[in-house]
Amino acid sequence: MDPLLLARLQFATTTSIHFLFVLVTLGLVTVLVYLQTAWVITQKPVYERLTRFWGTLYLINYVLGIATGLVMEFQFGLNWSGLSHYAGNVVGAPLAIETLVAFFLESTFLGMWIFGWHRLRRGVHLALLWGVAITAYASAFWVMVANSFLQNPVGYEMREGIAHLTDFGALLRNQSFGMAFGHVTFAALTVGGFLIAGISAWHLIRRTADYELFRKSLRIGVVTASIGTVMVTGFGYAQFGYLGTIQPTKFGDEHDKMAAASDFAARFGGSAADYLPPEWIGAPLGFMIMIANLLGLVVFLLPLFFRDWIIRMRAPLYILLFAVPLPFLAAIFGWLFREVGRQPWIVYGLLKTSDAVSPVSGGTMLASFLGFTALLLTLAITNWYLIARYAHAGAADPSLGRQPGWPTQDHERRPEPVLA
Amino acid sequence: MSTAWYALLGLFFATYFVLGGYDYGTGLLLARARTAPERRAMLTAVGPFFLGNEVWLVSAVGILFGAFPLLEGELLSGLYPAVALALAAVLTVTASVQLRSRPASDRAKHAWDRVIILSSTVAAFAWGAVLAGLLQGVPGPVLTSFVLVCGLAFVALVATHGAAFLALRLPEGGFDKIGRKLIPLALAAVGAATVAGLLSSRVRGHAHRPAVVIAGLALLALGLTVARVTLGRRNGVAFAATSLTLAVPVLLVGATMWPFSPVTGLTVADAAASGPTLRLLSWLAVPLLPALLGFQAMCWWAFRGRIDDRTPVYW
Repeated sequence: MDPLLLARLQFATTTSIHFLFVLVTLGLVTVLVYLQTAWVITQKPVYERLTRFWGTLYLINYVLGIATGLVMEFQFGLNWSGLSHYAGNVVGAPLAIETLVAFFLESTFLGMWIFGWHRLRRGVHLALLWGVAITAYASAFWVMVANSFLQNPVGYEMREGIAHLTDFGALLRNQSFGMAFGHVTFAALTVGGFLIAGISAWHLIRRTADYELFRKSLRIGVVTASIGTVMVTGFGYAQFGYLGTIQPTKFGDEHDKMAAASDFAARFGGSAADYLPPEWIGAPLGFMIMIANLLGLVVFLLPLFFRDWIIRMRAPLYILLFAVPLPFLAAIFGWLFREVGRQPWIVYGLLKTSDAVSPVSGGTMLASFLGFTALLLTLAITNWYLIARYAHAGAADPSLGRQPGWPTQDHERRPEPVLA
Repeated sequence: MSTAWYALLGLFFATYFVLGGYDYGTGLLLARARTAPERRAMLTAVGPFFLGNEVWLVSAVGILFGAFPLLEGELLSGLYPAVALALAAVLTVTASVQLRSRPASDRAKHAWDRVIILSSTVAAFAWGAVLAGLLQGVPGPVLTSFVLVCGLAFVALVATHGAAFLALRLPEGGFDKIGRKLIPLALAAVGAATVAGLLSSRVRGHAHRPAVVIAGLALLALGLTVARVTLGRRNGVAFAATSLTLAVPVLLVGATMWPFSPVTGLTVADAAASGPTLRLLSWLAVPLLPALLGFQAMCWWAFRGRIDDRTPVYW
């Protein structure tokens, strides 16, 4: 089979799965920071319980974020050695910074946060969560800096066919970066908000214990989702202003599109049609906007907080429950538009995707694609199943932050306390 | 400057093998535990450090990409089968260690434990294979007898290291005895790998500094011998000695081929990113490295000591 096609399929699959998990990570950690800060300031036990419950779900989700992130990182070298060969001088720097500044610290802090309950002082423990959140955003920041270079290469010069970094500041000022970074972070907040609202709605519909706790969660979720959707829509439309200029073949009007394609054909060979993205590329954009408009209606639930109508009317709870998958879908559609829309380029106007693929045989690539896809899908499904179970089990006694030596209350037996 | 970055790259990989090494060593020694509480205690011993250990790999590959983009592309794709195996195993270990305690039933936990045992063993083997692949140079066929023997030798080293770590954290667990039994095996495996290397013309061809090889092998033997003598009496020293045995292979790969990289005919200086990129990364690394090490040290300090019933349990 064609190694190029397989490498692209593998990248698409891994990135899609990765994206679904990191959005939740980023969205939930923001809410967790609010919850734990509120706990430390107000000392109200409900905030501690909220932090532990949502923290447990956050941690289960985080596992796949790391696992898929690891595959993403290795994939550049395994399948796309051409990218590091021709553009590594530029695109490698933000990714190296991402691993050192963000990922490294995020994991170190998170390990201490998980095991630090009842062991570290409250202030230190809270600071660790702030550290996790800040480094998580830093991670998104640097990944988007690198991605924006692929969308719209700036700050480099070509010498002997290889891109060399000339102006690092230009990478940060990249037109393709700012709005897209805002778009992604608020997309994460939207995903997190709807997830929290949906799970809370589930408990309120079933009238489980902990009415007060899930009432509070529901409100936090709806407010987060409202802020998220309004802002993500704004940052989305803001990109339309310049997208046609920096990527005419993706989003220019017919004239610009054909002019750019013919120009590419003249410079890189082939026909103009070779330099246009697939014709269906408008569809994911359309679907994403449609879902966003629908999700935007969440702001009309805010007035229903009055006298808890949002709960007493019941219908809003069902709506919120069924809305949970929608922001995930919108995120995948948006990502498809951004990444497939710039094809056939891996670095727009500079390096073709077909020139970046590693010189690896089709058989190796096929085995790798099938193996990793099967592994990641299995892990993803197991992970979602565990998240659903823990969400369903409720906040009676989450395993996170349990006092050592306490008797257990929930379905999960306390891990055996007897130690060798 | 490229030399400094090459050394830093080596430091990150060596630290990953030392720290991740005891994760995998503990993981594969789960096979020796008979009861659920024993397995629970072993995983608790690793608990707080696990995330902080695994992340050294992420940063090592990040440095490889940022500072040596040419090497990143050539080496990862050139050693495709070994690297892909290591990656699959590492991500399975990462996921299974973190998810293992989440299911309610003991049967499910036990099934996850088997996944941890298998994936830890494969991870150790695959990293040994990757190191051997580097020693025989890229490009060229990856799956040779030298690679297989080195993979097995690395499994032995990792298992010994895991035993030394557990002897330190769980003094009553009997891991000092297991460790002492493993050491002769590890010595034999290292010996076999040496013979396989001497027989391989590709390995001989790439070893520009045979003296380094001899020194490295001597250090390996010394580390294992010290561990053998001290295990059970001074477990801290034994753990330091087995740590050395996992750091030495990286040093061996880097220094034997110097000034060349594992890519045939490509020097380290030529493989490095161009000046502005390295300068940028250096400005960043100088203040950052102490912070990274500081936070890691904070984690080790906060959760130091032996395991008891007040030890936090999560994974």
